[in-house]
Amino acid sequence: MGADPNSRFVEIYESAYEPILGYVLRRCPHPEDAADVVAETFTIAWRRIEEVPEDHEARLWLYGVARRVLANHRRGERRHEQRTAALRERLAASPALARPPEDEISQMGRVFRDLTDDDRELLSLVAWEKLDHGQIARMLGISRNAVRIRLYRARRRFARGLAGAGIDHPRAVALEGSSL
Amino acid sequence: MNLADIARVHDRDLAGEAAAPEAQGLMHAIMSEERERLAVARPRRRVGRGLVLGLAATATAVAIAVGAGLVGGPATSYANAAVSIKKTDEYFSVNITDPTADRRRFEEAFRAVGLNVTVKVIPVAPSEVGKLIGPIVPGGFMWHGSIGTQSIEPCSSAFCAKVWMPADFPGRVVFGVGRPARPGEPYVDEGPGGPEGEEALSGYVSHGKAVADVRAELRRRGLKAGYRLMWQYSDGGWFDEAVPASRVKGAWTVASTRFSSSDTVDLYVTAGKDAGPAPSPHPQPQWYDMPD
Repeated sequence: MGADPNSRFVEIYESAYEPILGYVLRRCPHPEDAADVVAETFTIAWRRIEEVPEDHEARLWLYGVARRVLANHRRGERRHEQRTAALRERLAASPALARPPEDEISQMGRVFRDLTDDDRELLSLVAWEKLDHGQIARMLGISRNAVRIRLYRARRRFARGLAGAGIDHPRAVALEGSSL
Repeated sequence: MNLADIARVHDRDLAGEAAAPEAQGLMHAIMSEERERLAVARPRRRVGRGLVLGLAATATAVAIAVGAGLVGGPATSYANAAVSIKKTDEYFSVNITDPTADRRRFEEAFRAVGLNVTVKVIPVAPSEVGKLIGPIVPGGFMWHGSIGTQSIEPCSSAFCAKVWMPADFPGRVVFGVGRPARPGEPYVDEGPGGPEGEEALSGYVSHGKAVADVRAELRRRGLKAGYRLMWQYSDGGWFDEAVPASRVKGAWTVASTRFSSSDTVDLYVTAGKDAGPAPSPHPQPQWYDMPD
């Protein structure tokens, strides 16, 4: 780890900011709350810069941190900080985020929302973050085999939910990057 | 329809966001913080452990204040037998010399330099003795500036830290000072985050093992077991409930272990399917919630 902490952090921030912001926005009910979750995620990276792995693994590490920060956030540990005020405003005003989340308006979204957190997170990591089994295993700290088995079960439950909701040919609903 | 389609936003929609002034401003704000152990005050929602305040009062208290204004304004530095605090342009430099001192000695020092805080001397594990814990802001920190601590090493006192805190913050702020717990006395738990992945026993992995197996290992090592059931909620939250041994079945799975006193290890147990419905979270008062 040759780079000094400052330049290393800048590099990590600039390469991972967008995927981490995306990860958080896709899971945060209110876009403006995402600013605080993103800020805390990168603050943890800053404080623990020596622990952040190199290259692409840094993004997986940050997903894992963001996941825990989001869980805390959902548990009610909310605080808006002065330093995120500008970013909150930017996100609140973003046209791309103006429409309600799809899981509130589409039938498929509602089936997806009704899955357990674990199932939803696994399927999301594949479909939204485009992670493969090995990357998910490293992010969650479980074996590849466990990922494979859990994903298989999550897909099955999702397909069952779609069928139960009367969505035709649920098996034709593809998970991007893999088959359902 | 594709599952990817129901995402609120795609990464490609965010192209260029990292270069936005707001994102760059946040990066610089983060980097302006000191790096290691900058513990921003944030009460953790965990079940409280026993609390016994240290009452080892110093027999004689000599205090030296420097720089007190003629009209009685805050001093720029203050020292007594327990702690010395020096105000700099950016932060307060705090050196703890006697972590077992009466909490009032710490509070008087903070107040002398203009910080109205509550200090509690709390029993901790040996590795945490002397540390300044917090600042905790039970009501949340929504104010200008920042609040936090950073430990400094090397340190010739019991503990040295920088403390950031706006002197005009009107909310309640609590610091803990870790003192050695007595044998068997419960530690006040102030580890960062939950116990995920923690292993208390050297050379032994409890994660994934049955409660009965871990219990047997503790018995072999002459340790007592405490039990905390980990409940997951559909909103992604979790709650660990302290339960008696009778509530836990031997076949249930241990997620992690953590010393809760010198002779007791808490088993964090994933609630089995036959554990009944998850209770409503009922956080118990934490050490910083106790009357001052």
